[in-house]
Amino acid sequence: MEKYKIRNNIRKLRFNHDEMTQEQLAEKAGVTRQTIIAIESSKYSPSLELAFRIALAFGVPLAEVFSYEPGDDSP
Amino acid sequence: MSNKQNAITVSLVSTLVVLVYYLVNIFQMIQGGGLNSAEVFRLWAVVIIATIILNIAGNIITNIVINIVHAIKTQKEEEVRLIEDERDKLIGLKGDRVSYIAFSIGVFLSMLTFALGQPPLVMFSLIVFSSLMAEIIGDLSQFHFYRRGA
Repeated sequence: MEKYKIRNNIRKLRFNHDEMTQEQLAEKAGVTRQTIIAIESSKYSPSLELAFRIALAFGVPLAEVFSYEPGDDSP
Repeated sequence: MSNKQNAITVSLVSTLVVLVYYLVNIFQMIQGGGLNSAEVFRLWAVVIIATIILNIAGNIITNIVINIVHAIKTQKEEEVRLIEDERDKLIGLKGDRVSYIAFSIGVFLSMLTFALGQPPLVMFSLIVFSSLMAEIIGDLSQFHFYRRGA
């Protein structure tokens, strides 16, 4: 079975939202900055609820933040 | 380093202190003519109570230090919110599982010494040693999970 990986556009979305800081996003999503760093670098896959909260923080659909794509281990 | 990682560091250091205290006492007993039940069980009680007190005191001191550092950094007197999010909980659970496995192996090996003819006090001493080691291994594994992401 082909390996799939959860990828994200958080860095790009933060840039498009007036260079929102990781701290600001963490506060909006109700998690720590370390968790945002881990998600952004694809080291941690968030729960569905947290994924929705992050999408809500940017005001975009979930699919614009996260995608499930085939690929290697590099983020 | 996050606040949660600071709390794990405090737990690790306090458990290491108790482990050193325990080992020093056990070696002194062995050098002084062997293990005796009254001393071994007194040491059990001291180790358990010391672990609890050191962990509680350590957490209180950590919170105070975090708040002082935060106040100095931001020049505000607001209290730091110590959030434990889903990733912290997941890492905590993984650490607990590692700790549980380490303790199970320790208890098994302790009982093995008894089954192989060692006195029961050796088994009891090894069980305490296993519990302290399991705590340390659990804390170290949490550091590993934090570095890896989860």
